[in-house]
Amino acid sequence: MSARIDQTATGFDFGLAKRNASLEASGVKAPNATKTGTTIVGLIFKDGLVLGADTRATAGSIVADKNCEKIHYIAPNMYCCGAGTAADTEYTTNMISSQMALHNMSTGRESRVVTAMTLLKQYLFRYQGHISAALVLGGYDVTGPHLYTIYPHGSTDKLPYVTMGSGSLAAMSVFESRWRPDMERQEAIDMVKDAIEAGIFNDLGSGSNVDVCVIEKGKVDYLRNYAKPNERVQKEQSYKFARGTTAVIKTSIRDLVTVTEDTAMDITA
Amino acid sequence: MVGKNCVAIASDTRLGAQAMTVDMNFPKIFPMTDHTMIGLAGLATDVLTLRDQFKYKVKMYHLKEDRVMAPRTLAHVVSSTLYEKRFGPYFVEPIVAGLDPRTHEPFICCTDTIGCIDFAKDFVVVGNATENLYGMCEGLWEPNLEPEDLFETISQALLNAVDRNALAGWGAVVHVITPERVITRNLKARCD
Amino acid sequence: MISDIVAQYTTPEASLGFGSEALPSQRGFLSGDVAHQFNSLAFDLPRTQDPVDFLHTYTDVKSAEDNLIKLAHGTTTLAFKYASGVVVATDSRATQGSVISSQSVKKVIEINPYLLGTMAGGAADCAFWERELGRRCRLYELRNKERISVAAASKLLANMVYSYKGMGLSMGTMISGWDKTGPNLFYVDNDGLRLKGDLFSVGSGATYAYGVLDSGYNHELSKADAIELGKRSIYHATHRDAYSGGSVRVFHINESGWEFISLTDVDDLHWEYTDQARAP
Repeated sequence: MSARIDQTATGFDFGLAKRNASLEASGVKAPNATKTGTTIVGLIFKDGLVLGADTRATAGSIVADKNCEKIHYIAPNMYCCGAGTAADTEYTTNMISSQMALHNMSTGRESRVVTAMTLLKQYLFRYQGHISAALVLGGYDVTGPHLYTIYPHGSTDKLPYVTMGSGSLAAMSVFESRWRPDMERQEAIDMVKDAIEAGIFNDLGSGSNVDVCVIEKGKVDYLRNYAKPNERVQKEQSYKFARGTTAVIKTSIRDLVTVTEDTAMDITA
Repeated sequence: MVGKNCVAIASDTRLGAQAMTVDMNFPKIFPMTDHTMIGLAGLATDVLTLRDQFKYKVKMYHLKEDRVMAPRTLAHVVSSTLYEKRFGPYFVEPIVAGLDPRTHEPFICCTDTIGCIDFAKDFVVVGNATENLYGMCEGLWEPNLEPEDLFETISQALLNAVDRNALAGWGAVVHVITPERVITRNLKARCD
Repeated sequence: MISDIVAQYTTPEASLGFGSEALPSQRGFLSGDVAHQFNSLAFDLPRTQDPVDFLHTYTDVKSAEDNLIKLAHGTTTLAFKYASGVVVATDSRATQGSVISSQSVKKVIEINPYLLGTMAGGAADCAFWERELGRRCRLYELRNKERISVAAASKLLANMVYSYKGMGLSMGTMISGWDKTGPNLFYVDNDGLRLKGDLFSVGSGATYAYGVLDSGYNHELSKADAIELGKRSIYHATHRDAYSGGSVRVFHINESGWEFISLTDVDDLHWEYTDQARAP
């Protein structure tokens, strides 16, 4: 095997930090990162647990994504909802997920939720809150259903029903008034849906649809867009422009040879 | 913007230092593979750096894997390249637009400066005039536009958005990518 | 009798000199009898020992973020004197941050048939104080039975804004006109600075306008060439400066007063000029 060309050190690269600080000092404004805003929840019922999330991503006051996925895969028996800076939740859960996969392969046992929780809290604690990921981790392992919240600084809670994100208060109001032990599956799903909808309607940072994930022993049901309370109505008229509306200075066309079989190796690209 | 079996990607062509317009023909969209282009909005030095870096990664992928990189793959390359610099980011917001090299399925996405991918089925916008662009696109876009109609829609959305933004404009370029060809047009735009 | 009417809106000469404007009374703008009210125009000020200092504590006039609703901040305006008059030209863009709030602002203010003012900085400040200037110029005419000189008019304005110095007024204006001495041009700004000159340009695009203006300026220019120079200077400023744009508005002043010349979209000018450049 020839030498790897792409070999770089792992971890974050702080190389541009000083440059950016001086750029910002001289008046260049950095575009703001996408946040999730977010209402995320989880609760434990008789046979397992239910995770829920809204699907709005924001950048400042702009809705950047109307239907993003906030329930991230960790392991076959484990999922994790993320709130905070979207890139952080995405990459943190992704990395822990890969560590869980490796751990699973080396031990040959089903992953435990505490393991993922510990990896996550240690990782977040190491970065002292600078990685802004607020997580709701849920899974079902040999010891039963587990539900954790993990805060950006690395602290954790283990509770039977939890909420997080900017819509957490709205969602918690639903749980506090209605949650009880040993609920039925459908009742639990409905309550999660109601809690997320409370966030969607009462918190400006949350919106669009409801994602639900039901985790039971040996079984996961990822119900993407379980409820769509904010569907856009179809435009009644078309705003199509007549062809030729736009004034064009120059047109150039590059014809592509479509290779139907995967034989020719094209290195012109 | 996504159309029927096609995608379009467009940008203005201004390069400016705050209020001063330095270049009126600065390309911000770069072809990566036959069917995929990447648009980079932000600090010019980072635009050029990342353009070269992505081009390099796409070519290396091609050589190592003996297949053309799909736009979805490129999106993840872009994302991880940016997230690596989470605490000292490039001042760039990229858009990836293209057709899958095998299925010709349209694909578009954008990311923020630290690589959070926003997959969309309709349109994505980044850069200076995003507020204006969101407004235009929400109003004008409709599903299943033919390449020629998609061209008009994306062009009008862009031109009218930048006409209400002081820091953008001075010319525009639109690429429409179809399975058979890539059509590139330079638009006539206001130059103030 | 004219003099009675004038008297009704005036107080004795003595109080009209320099200094009467210094620190307007702390009464409200609309209080007091009519005569007094019109004479000593005054805004409410903080009732403190030093209103300027007090205002600085609570208003940061330097940062754009705190002054989001200040229209017409980016601008290019110019005026120059030459053999047969004065050319005044402006762009027409108003911005709030990077958003273009208008492409059709009128930045030339017609004070009276012989006087023009230009608008740069705060639109409201320019419009208000130049209207007030117009009123005072009219009173001067009634009182003295002759038109006010441009020098005197510009000094009235400079004195008025000087009395509010440091309180957040924002204006950079050129007062131009024709009086007994011929064409005249003055620059007045919110600091109270007043300069007499042959050629001025004000606003964020002023440097670009100066570049074209200086290279093409000549005192003996024909009227058509002078107007074209004004137009071209504004066009080039709108081209390079992000905060200038819209249309070029040109006025011309000669012995019979000002005259509106043209309003041209810079988009049309751009293609006209680039086509010209391309032709051999």
